[in-house]
Amino acid sequence: MAEVTELGAGVRRRMLLRSFAVQGSWNYQTLIGTGLAFILSPALRRVHAGDDEALRRALGRHTELFNSHPYLAAVAAGAIARLEAERVPPETVARFKAAVRGSLGTLGDRLVWLMWRPMSVLLGVSLVLAGAAWWVGALAFLLVFNALHLWMRAWGLRTGLRDGLRIGGTLRGVPFQRMGDRAAQAGALLAGLAAALAAAPKGSHAWEWAAGAAAAVLGVALGRRVRAAAAVAMVVALIAGLVLART
Amino acid sequence: MIPTAAQTAVLALLGGLVALDGTSVGQFMVSRPFVAAALGGLAVGRPMLGIQAGIVLEALHLAVLPVGAAKYPEGGPASVAVGGVFAASQSPPVAASATLLVAVLVALALEWVGGYSVERMRQFNVRFAGSPPEGVTPREVARRHLTPVAVDFARGAVLTLVGVGVLDLLLGTIDFSGFPEIAVGTVVRLAVVAGVASALRLFGRGNYPFFLAGAAAGAAVAWLR
Repeated sequence: MAEVTELGAGVRRRMLLRSFAVQGSWNYQTLIGTGLAFILSPALRRVHAGDDEALRRALGRHTELFNSHPYLAAVAAGAIARLEAERVPPETVARFKAAVRGSLGTLGDRLVWLMWRPMSVLLGVSLVLAGAAWWVGALAFLLVFNALHLWMRAWGLRTGLRDGLRIGGTLRGVPFQRMGDRAAQAGALLAGLAAALAAAPKGSHAWEWAAGAAAAVLGVALGRRVRAAAAVAMVVALIAGLVLART
Repeated sequence: MIPTAAQTAVLALLGGLVALDGTSVGQFMVSRPFVAAALGGLAVGRPMLGIQAGIVLEALHLAVLPVGAAKYPEGGPASVAVGGVFAASQSPPVAASATLLVAVLVALALEWVGGYSVERMRQFNVRFAGSPPEGVTPREVARRHLTPVAVDFARGAVLTLVGVGVLDLLLGTIDFSGFPEIAVGTVVRLAVVAGVASALRLFGRGNYPFFLAGAAAGAAVAWLR
């Protein structure tokens, strides 16, 4: 642990801030490799202070292929910074990066993109459909979503720096699965709420309720294909409207 | 009726920023259609109208997942453009449902153009990837990383300007007099219902009871209001 103390609060703060731009140079060759080197740069400057040659080589190694969920990239960056501070051989660091990138991607994708984000945005949408001011809905969404987002980045960097190679065990101990399950339940509840509120505006007739129920069933059946189906329906409605308007 | 030059400039700036938020910088989700369209509306002084367009676009964007190198439609800049122009077009209010329908269709097309431009940008960014055998300096890493960020901002701003221009042109060309407003409004509303309900597929079949409970609560609220 003594080696990590050389990465003081200033370095950690700069790494955290840079982690917000980890995907800035996303490309089809090294994915977020350059972004990882960008986060690690302040730590590597400290570790290799006075040895420009070693610093260049270390940064070069970390611009190679890497991928992860963007919020959990901080976990990898923290752990790698620790390994570099401990002067762990580059081959070991490369093996570590290859080992963690898949799991950091899968964990984040499932929890954040698949569960937390739809749940948060449905909360905001439901509030506005229920009559709240626009900013209440938008703010509720952003606050709920970013509570997890910001925690993941800050916790990830701190935990990575603390645990280094042992990060796998720490990640297994965090209840990401349970958090995802709870978010999915809340999301399903909010999806039902928002669908009903959207289907039945104030003073709506029985046929509007029935049409709304049918649209909901169709939406569940179509899944992600609902986007194309809705676009086709709207194009047809536009053409029919234009024709009707002229007759 | 249309956004002024100053409002258009603000929309372009917002479009660039939400393009960054989508992937490159932040990912605070200000780029979600629900928020981005409200910001577009705010830029022309009518955020509540902007968020109306945002809700429709969000419902149709819920199941879009930015996983790995998957290609997906980009919602942010399109939502800013459409939220802004739709809100500006409703002063005074005229053919709101028909205008919203056209705005949403333009946004959906622009989202695909945005997704295509993201893919091309990622190919372009390859020239900044990798490193020579002697390694790279911190300054070089920053240059290689931040140049694509600047390109992404410019891409988002241009895309937003294109959206503003196209929608503005269409709304100025199409004659909405005699348009069946109620029927068109119903189609848009049902698209929202179907889109929101499609999110259940993300949450899994085991959560159907929660969906039904939410729908019952929503129906009760709708009944009472």
